[in-house]
Amino acid sequence: MAEHKLLFEFAHESEFRTLHGYLARKGYEGLKKAIGMDRQAVIDEMKASGLRGRGGAGFPTWIKWNGIEKEKTKPHYLVCNADEGEPGTFKDKQLMEETPFLLIEGMTIAAHAVQADCGYIYIRGEFVDAAKSLRAAIDEAYQHGYLGKNILGSGLDFDLYLHMGAGSYECGEESALMSSLMGERGMPRLKFPHAPLPTVAGLWDHPTIINNVETYACAPSIIKNGGEWYATLGASTKNSRGTKIFSVSGHVNKPGNFEIEFGTSLMELLELAGGMQGELKMCVPGGSSVPMINAEDCQKAIIGYEEMGEVGSMVGSGGCMFFNEHTCIVSFTWRTAQFYALESCGKCTPCREGTKWMLQILDRIVRGNGQPGDMDLLMSITKQIDGRSFCGLGDAAAWPVAGAIKKFPHEFEYFIQHGRSMVDTPEARALAPRLHQRAFSSV
Amino acid sequence: MSELIQVGASRPKAPAPDQLELRFSAKAISELAALRTHYPDNKSCILPGLWIAQREYGGYLSPEAIAEVAHRLGHSYAEVEGVATFYSMYTTAHAPGRHMIEVCTCLSCHMCGAYRIVDYLEETLGIGLGETTADGMFTIHEVECLDACDRAPVLQVGDQYIGPVDTSAIDALLNKLRGETNSTVVQLADSIVQVHLRDTEKA
Ligand SMILES: Cc1cc2nc3c(=O)[nH]c(=O)nc-3n(C[C@H](O)[C@H](O)[C@H](O)COP(=O)(O)O)c2cc1C
Ligand code: SF4
Ligand code: FES
Repeated sequence: MAEHKLLFEFAHESEFRTLHGYLARKGYEGLKKAIGMDRQAVIDEMKASGLRGRGGAGFPTWIKWNGIEKEKTKPHYLVCNADEGEPGTFKDKQLMEETPFLLIEGMTIAAHAVQADCGYIYIRGEFVDAAKSLRAAIDEAYQHGYLGKNILGSGLDFDLYLHMGAGSYECGEESALMSSLMGERGMPRLKFPHAPLPTVAGLWDHPTIINNVETYACAPSIIKNGGEWYATLGASTKNSRGTKIFSVSGHVNKPGNFEIEFGTSLMELLELAGGMQGELKMCVPGGSSVPMINAEDCQKAIIGYEEMGEVGSMVGSGGCMFFNEHTCIVSFTWRTAQFYALESCGKCTPCREGTKWMLQILDRIVRGNGQPGDMDLLMSITKQIDGRSFCGLGDAAAWPVAGAIKKFPHEFEYFIQHGRSMVDTPEARALAPRLHQRAFSSV
Repeated sequence: MSELIQVGASRPKAPAPDQLELRFSAKAISELAALRTHYPDNKSCILPGLWIAQREYGGYLSPEAIAEVAHRLGHSYAEVEGVATFYSMYTTAHAPGRHMIEVCTCLSCHMCGAYRIVDYLEETLGIGLGETTADGMFTIHEVECLDACDRAPVLQVGDQYIGPVDTSAIDALLNKLRGETNSTVVQLADSIVQVHLRDTEKA
């Protein structure tokens, strides 16, 4: 199977970033159709499409849109989660940079469907180039009546603002993102059923829809071509429809973003990325939060939300990293643990303490000072974090550590017992941080 | 316990209200005014306001810079300081060098040799991570995934990503930056402020 470019069809053409070039490539046909449609009909098309959120959790998009109150009594808000921070993922960045109008059109369609007056795109602070491209596109859309008051004479008013983050992975979590947008530390809020859903009380306690960049970017083609048409893509899978962009990196020959139809095999994705440099050892298919899979499971893996579950992993955000035989799983897991320990927001104990303990234990192992029982200790900590944390970051910190120990127990055992890595190659040694070098030499 | 008291004692003190010297330029004041129209609530201007301050105060959110944002937005110093210290891109601990080199050592970059890049920078500049060269030119940092793993190992300077890098790319980068008179730290903050504003709102 080859790439299936729905979102990326014109991504390589710089003209596509301008309103003129976008219109020349059938841009805004979706919005024009949508504003002639009843709001519910737009939501029904989204339902027929089977689109699930592309931010990581795979929640059906139409259910969110349908959840917003139909009798509008207060302002409704739309938020785009463009805080892409999941290690391994870089698709939203390219989408914003190269196809800014797809996102703007998608959000405007959503604004019509849920009667939103105002939208915010919350962009990760580091993504200045992506933000500049969006800025130029938004300014142009305002100049030509595609944003602002009475859009295309339809009576729809919609203002769109850019808001930059300032360096915090946790702000990708939707309630933390809203806290941050409201000028607070990026800490999450209580969730349903303990608090109302964002569709009832989100930003400033008003009804709010929050979706990922890629999710919104899918809306124009769904409305233009119809939900049923969209649902024919990925029909070979259980419940994953359409295309999905995967960011492929690691030891591959041609790293980059690849848009594929659900139902494609993981090995085909690897082929699209030019195949391996060296021999495939391990893959993290959906961003750092999902459990890794070994080479054998890679051979069987089919890309789909349920299908990836069958090999013990997830589609996640689509940050797919392939690694070769010089990869020390223990060192990799240590670095993963460091990420979560640093990014934990500190609000709840299991995650704040647990991520630090995991890092401490992994740190002593990679320095060659692992102790008998460390594997059990790590596993027990992952169990105390998973499902007991205030937000998804805790779970996301526990899964990769537990996954690595389950898939590669012998590498952990060896490291702890011998005080050095089982992967004993000059290449592996060259990758290790200086403090860990002792554990990567045979002498 | 005593350690905790020590930590508290070394926290930078907020300037007293009557000692507050406002330093925002006319441009910054009009940018902040435009930003207020973007949100129903002033508080949302704290993050973009801190970006403005980071630019106006030369790349460093000193207690004075934080106090000015708090004053202009009508929020307490503690609240604004709390926000500023949460986010890694605000520089609150100490003034950075003219150029901040942020090396990603996260997963893909780690597995593509990022730690050798860190070593090379440390050796060449004679400083450790988080430190600034004596001439105030460079600060180096290790950062989490920059979401450019297709360019691993990658680093960020100002608003630009550079990668994949090797030692000769680092040499070339350092040379180029030495000849650069403007601070890329300030330039990054300015770029971030600018993207918030519509063409009709630019000062
Ligand atoms: C720790 C954490 C980080 C997250 N980071 C992101 C992110 O960077 N981008 C994103 O779109 N969703 C992220 N999410 C998922 C969001 O909470 C939310 O599910 C998503 O924005 C919903 O949009 P969707 O339905 O279109 O996927 C994150 C979740 C967690 C728990
Ligand atoms: S799990 Fe708890 S400590 Fe971790 S990021 Fe979420 S709220 Fe913060
Ligand atoms: S791991 Fe370095 S950019 Fe993603």
